[in-house]
Amino acid sequence: MIKVDNVSVHFGGVIALDQVSAEFTAPVNGIIGPNGAGKTTLMNVVSGFVQVHSGRIDMNGTNLLSMSPHRRAHWGLRRSFQKEEIANDLSVFDNVLVQIDHAGSAGAKRDEVRRMLGLVGMLDKADRMGRTLNSFERRLTDMAKCLVGSPKLVMFDEPAGGLSIEETKRLGELIQALPDETGAQVLVIDHDVELISRICTDTLVLDFGKKIAFGPTADVLADPKVKAAYLGTEEV
Amino acid sequence: MNNRLFHITPSGWSGLLFAAFAFVVLPMVAGKLWLSVFISTGCFMLAIAGVAFMYARLGMVSLTQVGLMGVGGWVMLRLNHAYGFPFEVNLILSGLVTMVFGWLLALPALRMRGLYLALVTLMAAGGLEILFATYQFPNGGEGFWGVKTGSAAAFRRPWLAGSAEAYMRYVVVIVVLGFLLIEAHRRLAPGRAWALIRRSEAAAMAAGVNVTLYKTWAFGIAGLLAGVAGGLLAGSLGLLDDATFKASESVMVFALAVVGGARYWLGALIAATLYRILPALLNNWGVDADLSFVIFGAGLLHAIITAPNGLAGQLIDTIQAKLAPKKEAGQ
Repeated sequence: MIKVDNVSVHFGGVIALDQVSAEFTAPVNGIIGPNGAGKTTLMNVVSGFVQVHSGRIDMNGTNLLSMSPHRRAHWGLRRSFQKEEIANDLSVFDNVLVQIDHAGSAGAKRDEVRRMLGLVGMLDKADRMGRTLNSFERRLTDMAKCLVGSPKLVMFDEPAGGLSIEETKRLGELIQALPDETGAQVLVIDHDVELISRICTDTLVLDFGKKIAFGPTADVLADPKVKAAYLGTEEV
Repeated sequence: MNNRLFHITPSGWSGLLFAAFAFVVLPMVAGKLWLSVFISTGCFMLAIAGVAFMYARLGMVSLTQVGLMGVGGWVMLRLNHAYGFPFEVNLILSGLVTMVFGWLLALPALRMRGLYLALVTLMAAGGLEILFATYQFPNGGEGFWGVKTGSAAAFRRPWLAGSAEAYMRYVVVIVVLGFLLIEAHRRLAPGRAWALIRRSEAAAMAAGVNVTLYKTWAFGIAGLLAGVAGGLLAGSLGLLDDATFKASESVMVFALAVVGGARYWLGALIAATLYRILPALLNNWGVDADLSFVIFGAGLLHAIITAPNGLAGQLIDTIQAKLAPKKEAGQ
């Protein structure tokens, strides 16, 4: 269970997150909101790239905010970025292997990388260099990085950005299968509401740094406040 | 996909062939003056490899490499004149001390990026320049600085490389070992971490890479190579002059590493050739060696405009383009 407890983030005078609280208990959870709502900021707080003004984030009793960013990755935090961060001068295999380079025997690590590349359908491209991959292959490589090393929490920041409908569907299936494959909980940010409603059990909605709704995805998407945040309100 | 630590690439084979040529043929055909030039070229090639690898793998600009060579040379001379250790022990200690020096330099510098990092390293090079000019290099004197007036004490070369020819072969072997050290790192966990850091520090941290550790590590390796290069240079000349290790030389060496091609062993060879052999050639032809600066400038302009991977990258791309149609025809 991921517990976000009264998290506030200030960038100078701008309040990017304002006392946001939520308890994510479902295997796959969504975070949605209009541009500038604070979704990525929340993900950056969990990753350790942004310091909180106040608040706490726990997962299964572990205070994530007490660890440095790379220690969180060793603990079991995985994340993808809006732009796939694949090193161009590494092979697909090495791009995934780097995620678990810090621990374990060489043979076991290589076996796991192969297994996860097979799971995402990239095993036959394991020797290809990062620079030769198209955006979907880069995204799948990113996905394999998130799968290796017994992750506890995996976060995807707009994973479907720039993908076709078919590719988005395939990615959604992989995200849905992730908790069963690894035991990890998943947080997904995306503007593709159809994807979120299909794969996320619970969803948090942010607007201008504040929580405006949280609960089962279908209920949240039907909430008038959420519709107003996305579509605006009619002036009378 | 499997362990490719010992896989030799075509570029690797060509490097080893060139090293074999430099080991066997060059010492046989070169006169005393040219042997000295080639040895110096080998030393600077090693130092350039260090600064080039930091730039190519991490995108970090270090403008203190020649200053670090001076540190290695200073330690080498100091140990040689103070103790009776074998040359190899002194050389290893020179490299290690310079590596630690590189780490110390890295700690404040790693808080900076890009131009600011370059400026901090340049300031360090300036500081070293002043230190070398003030205290000079040890020549067998008393006290910590070990400097005396008059003729310098004799320098002990390695027992198996007493002659200039043998010493050149010795330098070739050490340079090859230096390149193998870099290549081994590139193929193992540090290389993967560096590639990801170069891509994005945030992505590297998210992948569990300790960015500070690996950046410091890179500084240490560059320092180690510079220290060994400085030690070898001291072994070649027997004494060192502070004018060799000016901050401007570090800037020049970095610029030439970019001109040569920071990603390739050939780039380091081209850079070292331009830096040491070209001025010697110009002198040999009766032309003012300062003309080499004009050629360096033209080379830098050429690299910036048409060869982002340096002359070595351009050359390799051209060869690959010429070979590609033949391969297709062969198929």
